[in-house]
Amino acid sequence: MKVKVVTRILEANDRIAVENRKLFNEADIYVINLMSAPGAGKTSLIERTIKELYGKLRIGVIEGDIAGTEDARRIESLNIPVIQINTGGACHLDANMINEAIVDLPLKDLDLLIIENVGNLVCPAEFKVGEDVKVMLLSIAEGDDKPLKYPLMFQESSVLILNKIDLLPYTNADIGKIKKDSLSLNPSLKIFEVSCKTGERIGEWAEWIQLQVK
Amino acid sequence: MHEVSIAQSLLDIATENCKKNGYKGIESIKVKIGRASAVVPDALLFAFDAMKIDTIAEKACLTIEEIPVGGFCNNCNSNFTVEEAYVLSCPRCGGTSFRIESGRELDIYEMEVF
Repeated sequence: MKVKVVTRILEANDRIAVENRKLFNEADIYVINLMSAPGAGKTSLIERTIKELYGKLRIGVIEGDIAGTEDARRIESLNIPVIQINTGGACHLDANMINEAIVDLPLKDLDLLIIENVGNLVCPAEFKVGEDVKVMLLSIAEGDDKPLKYPLMFQESSVLILNKIDLLPYTNADIGKIKKDSLSLNPSLKIFEVSCKTGERIGEWAEWIQLQVK
Repeated sequence: MHEVSIAQSLLDIATENCKKNGYKGIESIKVKIGRASAVVPDALLFAFDAMKIDTIAEKACLTIEEIPVGGFCNNCNSNFTVEEAYVLSCPRCGGTSFRIESGRELDIYEMEVF
């Protein structure tokens, strides 16, 4: 017997994401889902952002990694509430992992929650976690061919942060091409250019966050 | 790599539907996967076959219908599809004002049960 079951396969995930969203709204908290390939500088960006917004916003962090607690330790040393999720092999965070993790966060005492997704330029784009905004980070050293090789991530994100601009003189990456291709894929993409190493132009990104939180 | 999560969600939806309606088992499941979704069909088939064991979908075969990325061009007023997972301009007239209408599917749409 044939039966019609027209359902989005990720419907269960999306339902939990909506639940998370409700919890975040109740706590009046702005949530960033930060995604990139491994090594693009997600944790460094979070460290810089925390320092830049010190005394201005109360920040919490969720660290997603396949294994290890190195990232959470770095954030904890800045006296920020942090939860480490080890996915044990899964290449992305999903809504249920976040749902379980936020129980241990003082949501009511926070203005901003940054969720650092597992380093991966493909899978995290497909899973909503209940965020206000998807932000992706691309280090220019990864090459200017990435937007057209990994289009989904660029289409799903609202903000693109180009990191490691201090390395521009030492690479062949054409930052103009990265921006042009990214905007072709997603014309409303907001783009920042920063260096987490030198701190260059981090202020513009931090200012943007403050505008969103208010 | 997230095909394992997708396969698990797929099995959850299918088995839940059977429980609710009193079906004993599943013979086949049909899904639509858009080319702009980040799912690799072969990896999904592999994950599904590994995970269906010891479920009521144990003997089920999974059929994947791949949906190309397509849209409507506002410049030449026509529909188009492309081979790639993205569209930068209309393949017919080169116009850059268009809307994407297909290619992001990740849907289960039919199963055969007994």
